[in-house]
Amino acid sequence: MNQGIDLQGSFIRAMVDLGLSPGVAKTLWLPLPMVVILVAATVSIFVTVWLERKISAAAQQRIGPEYAGPLGTLQAAADGIKLIFKEDITPAKADPWLFTLGPAIVVIPVFLSFLIVPFGQNMVITDIGVGIFLWIALSSIAPIGLLMAGYSSNNKYSLLGGLRAAAQSISYEIPMALAVLAVVLMSNSLSTIDIVNQQSGYGILGWNIWRQPAGFLIFWIAALAECERLPFDLPEAEEELVAGYQTEYTGMKFGLFYVGSYVNLVLSALIVSILYLGGWEFPVSVTWISGLLGISETAPWLQVITAAIGIMMTVFKAYALVFIAILLRWTVPRVRIDQLLDFGWKFLLPVSLVNLLLTAALKLTFPMAFGG
Amino acid sequence: MLGFLKQVGDYAKESFQAAKYIGQGLSVTFDHMSRRPVTVQYPYEKLIPSERYRGRIHFEFDKCISCEVCVRVCPINLPVVDWDFDKASKKKNLKHYSIDFGVCIFCGNCVEYCPTNCLSMTEEYELASYDRHELNYDNVALGRLPYKVTQDPMVTPLRELAYLPKGVLDPHDLPANSRRAGKLPQEILDAMPQDPEAAEAKEAKD
Amino acid sequence: MTLSEGVQLVAFGLLAVMMLGGALGVVLLENIVYSAFLLGGVFLSMSGMFILLNAGFVAAAQVLVYVGAVSVLILFGIMLVNKQQPFLPVKSAWIGKVATGAVCAGLFALLTATVLKTSWAFSPEMPVGDQAIVEIGKHFFTDYLLAFELASVLLLIALIGAIVLARRELIPDTLPGEEQSEALQLPERPRQLVSSVAANAPDTDT
Repeated sequence: MNQGIDLQGSFIRAMVDLGLSPGVAKTLWLPLPMVVILVAATVSIFVTVWLERKISAAAQQRIGPEYAGPLGTLQAAADGIKLIFKEDITPAKADPWLFTLGPAIVVIPVFLSFLIVPFGQNMVITDIGVGIFLWIALSSIAPIGLLMAGYSSNNKYSLLGGLRAAAQSISYEIPMALAVLAVVLMSNSLSTIDIVNQQSGYGILGWNIWRQPAGFLIFWIAALAECERLPFDLPEAEEELVAGYQTEYTGMKFGLFYVGSYVNLVLSALIVSILYLGGWEFPVSVTWISGLLGISETAPWLQVITAAIGIMMTVFKAYALVFIAILLRWTVPRVRIDQLLDFGWKFLLPVSLVNLLLTAALKLTFPMAFGG
Repeated sequence: MLGFLKQVGDYAKESFQAAKYIGQGLSVTFDHMSRRPVTVQYPYEKLIPSERYRGRIHFEFDKCISCEVCVRVCPINLPVVDWDFDKASKKKNLKHYSIDFGVCIFCGNCVEYCPTNCLSMTEEYELASYDRHELNYDNVALGRLPYKVTQDPMVTPLRELAYLPKGVLDPHDLPANSRRAGKLPQEILDAMPQDPEAAEAKEAKD
Repeated sequence: MTLSEGVQLVAFGLLAVMMLGGALGVVLLENIVYSAFLLGGVFLSMSGMFILLNAGFVAAAQVLVYVGAVSVLILFGIMLVNKQQPFLPVKSAWIGKVATGAVCAGLFALLTATVLKTSWAFSPEMPVGDQAIVEIGKHFFTDYLLAFELASVLLLIALIGAIVLARRELIPDTLPGEEQSEALQLPERPRQLVSSVAANAPDTDT
């Protein structure tokens, strides 16, 4: 297996060569990937907001933002600056502690989940054994923050929105976890790196989407519901609930919900691309190409190119999925709350159970194709 | 057992149908993305209102004979006509005239029925104000002429869809003297077979 | 002391304070909603403890099950049944308090005895770390099989019970002996399978 480049190892070696002890070098290394990922996640908000506005505009034959920066690219920055300088109001009868804590509890798990998102063989903050399970666990914290925000606002719409959000996320978590379980069953590991590696080698043909088409759909639908994207945005359905749990929020506290929802969308898209679309794999196997051209796989320049292509492929796949999510937003009408819960419990859950059983059966029958 | 299987089959069929419809919807949305924006960049670009546009009403004070027909034909008797009777000349003397455009629905009945044509429709539609009482126009305000879009140096005038040449949908960057699609009203009149009576009347007038 | 040991010590101290403080808050605070949220905090710090003990899987499971499901359900319960009502003074309520105190003291004594009896020497076995999932799976299907299966049967019973409860459309407002007024009844359609309807009335739709 191609090991790819080991940035951590090279960095530590370089520091040791400079005369530092290995321990200090490792300590110096620790914050680097975290900061990089944090910055990348924050930049991804700008890109996503811009994409959302431009694609929405195009789908409605409008132009969209165009004065803030070239082609309106700085619109998200303008929005952010506005939110930061806006007065931070806590309603008089709200519960100030819970009111402040709510948005933070919604946002922090989303950023924490980037711990396990790999962009290459070694391009991940931590390759821990629980891997994808950590993401499922972390995404289950968010409902607490939503309930907190909804309850502390002292507003009936907020409370209803918070309850809906919590009901929605706990009911769609189960089909999502079952869809992930089917993938994990095939790769014999919870680690995201192993899941991608299991899909590698055959280019686009090896991706899990061919082995798990139903799982892919279930996961994508559940991920949309978890992100509260249309058609599942009823916790903040403005026609019914003003803005749901966000009703009483202004300024940066509202900004945190905003940031959280977009980062969550990008994160879900990244996870889908890792679980089903081969992560950082190029549609044509790089090993095969390098073999065809007669280049050694371990040539340093080839590894750099592979790593760059890997990062680009991961991000590209994620943004293609974001694009589909935005298109879906303008295509599908919002479902009702009873339809939402019906769909989750009576359709997605049985289908994902059947999918899991089928995967297990196929794994036993064709251990070659479905991971022995 | 068979009934149950049939139920499952129907359910699966319905699911696939729903998925198909969502796919069709997505393709429509996707198709819209490649279409040209229909946006008019409003403060910088404005559409030229059509000839029969019913905008703010213009009022000519000197022509008014205070007959109050406009009040009577108005659905809500909106125009306020303030006059007194001049006994010397035995005529009504108009003092004030006002229309509240916050209440007016621009139906154009007053313009239609005004016997002296002192009321007319203009193409002005930018009536926004900070106070709704500012919408109550008196005879001075009603007598102002609107600013034409085509004469405003800050504004790019754009033609409306019906005034574009044949096959053109984008009003931007039209050549200067491009003709609208179809015949102009005058041309239709000219092309009509002249009936003798009308021709005679015309000659007599000349 | 190396850096990692220091970090572990500080993290342990923080988590311990969070957990004990949270637990005290759960018991002592008047507002039941605060108690429920703090309970979530206690569960979270407990999962932090598991991480410190190199048990990543257990930590994640703790978050998923206790924070993500149990706390949220408790909160749901509180928020859906948020009835503000003054409690009636119960006669001889002190018996209950004394009983609770006795049970708590007994539990505390039991735990203390266990803590004192257990030898806290470090196990010579290497921590399995990331392989813990495999080990847990093996244990589940060998020496803990009975407990595992019993737990799953219990969950299945709960699941079926929930479905049975949820399938009942309406709970009647009136007592069995009471006379029901026709006007105030919600229409309740008897639930039937499509196949059984078709079997009972085969040619209604033809």
